[in-house]
Amino acid sequence: MLPLSSCCRHATRSLLAFSDSNAACVGLPALNTQVRNYAKARPGVVKPSSHGFSKAQKKGKGGELEDTDQAAATKRKRYTAFLPMPVAQLTHPLFETDQRNSQLQLQSFHPEILTEAVISQALAFPQNDKDPSRIFGLPRNLLVEYRILSKPCSVIRGVTIDVINRLDLASQEGSTNHRLVIAGSPGCGKSVLLLQALQYCYMRDWIVLYFPRAISLVNSTTSYAYDPRTQTYAQPVFAYQTLQRLLTVNGPRLEQLRTQAGVEVERRGTVPAGASLADLVKVGTKEQVLAPTVLTAVLSELGKQTAFPVLLAIDDFQAIYCKTKYRDPHYSRIQPYHLSMPRLLLEYASGLKQFARGAVVGALSGTDTTFKLPLELAEVLSLPPTSPSGPYAKRVPELQSYAKGLSRVSVPDALAVSEATELFDVWTRDRAIPAAPNDELFLAKYSESGGNARDFIWKGLLSTLTL
Amino acid sequence: MVHVLGVALPDMQLARLALTNFYGIGHKTAQRLCARLQIHDRSKIRDLTAQQITELASFLASPSTAPPLRRMPLASPTFQPPPASTPIEVLRKRVTELSKPTGAEPLRNLKIEAEGRRVVRENIAHQRMIGSYVGKRHAMGLPVRGQNTQSNAKTAKKLNRVNRFG
Repeated sequence: MLPLSSCCRHATRSLLAFSDSNAACVGLPALNTQVRNYAKARPGVVKPSSHGFSKAQKKGKGGELEDTDQAAATKRKRYTAFLPMPVAQLTHPLFETDQRNSQLQLQSFHPEILTEAVISQALAFPQNDKDPSRIFGLPRNLLVEYRILSKPCSVIRGVTIDVINRLDLASQEGSTNHRLVIAGSPGCGKSVLLLQALQYCYMRDWIVLYFPRAISLVNSTTSYAYDPRTQTYAQPVFAYQTLQRLLTVNGPRLEQLRTQAGVEVERRGTVPAGASLADLVKVGTKEQVLAPTVLTAVLSELGKQTAFPVLLAIDDFQAIYCKTKYRDPHYSRIQPYHLSMPRLLLEYASGLKQFARGAVVGALSGTDTTFKLPLELAEVLSLPPTSPSGPYAKRVPELQSYAKGLSRVSVPDALAVSEATELFDVWTRDRAIPAAPNDELFLAKYSESGGNARDFIWKGLLSTLTL
Repeated sequence: MVHVLGVALPDMQLARLALTNFYGIGHKTAQRLCARLQIHDRSKIRDLTAQQITELASFLASPSTAPPLRRMPLASPTFQPPPASTPIEVLRKRVTELSKPTGAEPLRNLKIEAEGRRVVRENIAHQRMIGSYVGKRHAMGLPVRGQNTQSNAKTAKKLNRVNRFG
């Protein structure tokens, strides 16, 4: 088993899905010099430059050392997701570091063993260079959780087997009939279920495309420009990053596929029929401006081929149905179907475009309150609306047409006792819980959280003051 | 560090905040400017292309004479785009034909830097010329808007005059 420091190093390098501006500016610190910020006395608050710089801040109060400390503190402040200290730095005998690495032995997540027999068992996700959760990134909640755990794992539930059976059907049929939306109460395990589906499909030789934070498509964090050909706002940088990730994860499979027709690309002529799909993707990764056209073409080629089923997995699915934070030159907010990336996802989610073999699976999320579940989507999925509803509430006809035909997969609000027991066992064996692991603690926390998975772990076990 | 019309815009600053360094541009106007130039919220000055900076400079040099904005056509869900080999001039012409003129543009009346300071100076000079209470208070270097003078008139006593901003 990898020591915690290597896990974290892996996580630092690749589990974060940054937008283009963030990726450019964040320099990752060396892990072996990391110190917990709250334990360190800060020299002073660093003001943003718009508030002006005082002479003291410019010259450096107290000399060079404080300047570098302040610069280092500023640099460390930029990280939004938790980064744990490596185990090797926990030298005090209180931490019992010599006993940390040997406890968590889990069976590996493998598609062959996924039957009713493994329900309520925890299985560890594989860790390799081309792991989709590593390359595409993870939602923030899961990222933090997997940084705390010594290895990313999840508990197999009844709903996991249902989704997997559904995906087995979808592998032989078109994606129009297999457009699923995972819904449930906050913290019930929607993102984890989506991740399980993604890992299953990847190991079953599907071609996978995963958007762990679809909100980053619509929250004005990536460049956009009006394209007169498609009459939408293209997002070249995001399309370029998507193509890179698609190629990294699915490279060998894309090498085996061939384009069925010539693909026209602006200013670069035509990529001939019979060219490898991997080469087509590389045309898009060479020039960012061409990336949106190439991504559309690659997905349409993937839709025509029948050699590999295709999975399009989208977390924060409701975000692509909300009005975006982008503004057009007249300062009105741009609709998602007028932006290239959300439009592409909406077309596949609505069945306007389809994969000959495959499925589109989305998971709703209530974490970001600026992108709440819109009325059009709530009505199609028969979910209680979060915004004013009724016959007088305004509905956008285009979004209603994009939401038609979606089917809901409900995740149970509460974990079953056996599932909660397994989860409790995993966290206990990983030495994450300060309290004595007994039945009393388990039942107390299970009752307090009402079986809700996130509350059980975060507000129950990890926040408990009992010893 | 990019210099636009004599104002230095720091590289590491968000573009929509860096634009507030201009006299006459606050947060709202900066957001509108970014929208007009299609600069996203998290873009920093160093991420801007040379073309965007040129457009920004040419717009701010003279906002009232900037080419009028048109409402570009936006694709419906069933829109099929023309092939990628279509020449760009044909596409632009088609889009211009389909575009609609806009009404009022708030940024057209934008006055920044020297022009903005001149407007303030002229307003105060006008108040003095017509002999109003406001003009007299500026001339005396006292608060204009009915604030207390028994105590706390320090800023007015320091700054208020008929010829403000040199």
